[in-house]
Amino acid sequence: MRIVNLAAFALALASAFLLYGVNYDTRLLEGRVQGQERSIDEARNDIAVLKAERAHLARPERIEPIARGLGMQPAAERQLASSPEEAMTRALAQSGATPGPAAQGR
Amino acid sequence: MSVSITPERGEPDVPPEHRPRARANGPLRTLIAMILMALAFMAVGAQLVRLALPSQSELTSSVSETVSGNYARPDIVDRNGRLLASDVEAYSLFADPVRVLDRDEIVEKLASVFPDLDANGMRRDLADRTRRFVWLRRGLSPGTAQEVHNLGLPGLDFRRELRRAYPGGTLAGHVLGSVNIDNRGVAGIERYVDDSVGVDAVQAATLTERAPVRLSLDLGVQHAVESELEDAMRRFEAKGAAGLVLDVNTGEVLASASFPEVDPGRPSMSLDTARADKIAGSTFELGSVFKTVTLALALEGGYARLDTVLDVRQPLAAGRFSIRDLHPVGRPLSVAEVFVHSSNVGAAMLAMRAGPQKLQAFLQQLGLLTPMQTEAGPIASPQLPSHWGQVETMTISYGHGLAVSPLQFAAAASALLNGGIQVRPTFLKRAPDAEPARVPLLSAATSAYMRELMRLNVTDPAGTGKRAAVPGYAIGGKTGTAEIAGPGGYRERAVISSFLAAFPIDKPKYLVFVLLFEPKPTHAAGGEVLAALNAAPTTGRIIARIGPVLGMMSASAAGASGVAFDGTGFDGTLAAKYEAQ
Repeated sequence: MRIVNLAAFALALASAFLLYGVNYDTRLLEGRVQGQERSIDEARNDIAVLKAERAHLARPERIEPIARGLGMQPAAERQLASSPEEAMTRALAQSGATPGPAAQGR
Repeated sequence: MSVSITPERGEPDVPPEHRPRARANGPLRTLIAMILMALAFMAVGAQLVRLALPSQSELTSSVSETVSGNYARPDIVDRNGRLLASDVEAYSLFADPVRVLDRDEIVEKLASVFPDLDANGMRRDLADRTRRFVWLRRGLSPGTAQEVHNLGLPGLDFRRELRRAYPGGTLAGHVLGSVNIDNRGVAGIERYVDDSVGVDAVQAATLTERAPVRLSLDLGVQHAVESELEDAMRRFEAKGAAGLVLDVNTGEVLASASFPEVDPGRPSMSLDTARADKIAGSTFELGSVFKTVTLALALEGGYARLDTVLDVRQPLAAGRFSIRDLHPVGRPLSVAEVFVHSSNVGAAMLAMRAGPQKLQAFLQQLGLLTPMQTEAGPIASPQLPSHWGQVETMTISYGHGLAVSPLQFAAAASALLNGGIQVRPTFLKRAPDAEPARVPLLSAATSAYMRELMRLNVTDPAGTGKRAAVPGYAIGGKTGTAEIAGPGGYRERAVISSFLAAFPIDKPKYLVFVLLFEPKPTHAAGGEVLAALNAAPTTGRIIARIGPVLGMMSASAAGASGVAFDGTGFDGTLAAKYEAQ
């Protein structure tokens, strides 16, 4: 009987330590999960800010004067072609029908 | 202890009267041991429960700490996914009056960071020790927050909150609407986001997981329209301007601009009545552009044909005043010429052929008489005449006596041009596979006539819309120069000049409607305030600019209505093909 009692007591102690340990680990992990979640949140917030900033920098109101300053113009209808072939033909015709570099090499 | 027990148990010469007691003690001790054991287990269990609790109680305390609700909103993007509105993290400064040591120091030092500080109000707030939470400033940038932090004032703290950012500035400001200090939508599309898409109440600065709201607007087209309108306002010294681009088949609004503009980031701006949305939020007597409706009625109802000749030489008596043409031609005109010369007398005669009831029924059918709604809120209700008599019929025929919002009119005009199918304007991008219900409002033949008339008005040398012509695109359009009603009658030379256009006119895809408010007879407009000289060329410039953005091919490119490739199809194989030649 004594042995049983002692064994039960030892078991209780052991399980208490074990449970305490598991519990402690769980809390540690929870803390880490929270930390990760926080950093995910932070990263998402940073991404949102960067996206907004990128959109702000790319706003047409800002791009237009810069592009015009570089000598560019709004796209014109004549720059559109119904097929890549047509576009290439037109581009070749515009550049004074000079053959392409590859053709020159032949 | 065990030493004292062992001899007792093992002793054979224990007196017999003691033996039963010893035996009786055995079960008792076992019981006691078991109870102790049970208690120990319970203690361990209780300890475990206690250990498990703190993390939860911490969570509850942080929830109850919240004082003001903050809402996380989905992004708003244009039809191509470009960002129009987004939530960003911002810092908000608050004070705990109980922990404040020196009120005056706080007010003084904060005034160095915020020059526009209400010092008295803040002193009063901080003096109230019954409160534990007072907002001082919300929505600070990280830099400003750091400045305040560096002051090192006790009793102040920051909360991280979400703030709405509009990276485009004033771009599409009227459509987007605005949010309040708690990040809830109060107007425009932002209101729609709250009502229909949904926002999330959040504690700190937690962004929502909701998918962005995709609008029908095209950022590039919107900007082109806005910049051309601003330019037109400068050139014609107009008090205001408005423009919209509408897909005549799907009803999608690709651009909607109104000047003076509003900044969605500054909601107080939209309270100024001069800045009210002129596209959907106001109604106007639109003038001669309304003749498109009158002519459609005449053709649809069989009251006239394009070659029917009307004698428009004499002014038409309408009650106590008479209707006359601005630039009388001095000869009878065919119906087509009535349209091209924009004859008020001719339009009134055609409307009178139909009669008040038929006109009213036709306007009703086109949806011009009943209030209309879009995602951005209700469109300003049409202002109808109290009585539909002959005079009203005649004036409405050329766009006076009935005030509608430009967006509602554009929707009706789209039906006149797209083959007679009803159009419901929308600010949301339509799913590519969604087939909108086709509700026919008028015959395809009438619609074809209307396209022909609008085209003629631009190609004819006498046409009022000839200055809208641009190389590459077949445009059709109609001018309108409406005098603005003031106290005691119409004000001369104070006009709304407008141009209603569609392109490519043989198979319209887009409708462009431009309005200039009170333009001056500047040199650029040939010293006139006529729509033919200001609104028409402005529309032409807009179309020349947005056509390529929308991928519209020129009229000369046979049959092609769109770009067949957009760079993605331009791969190495093609380059190789040309190199091999």
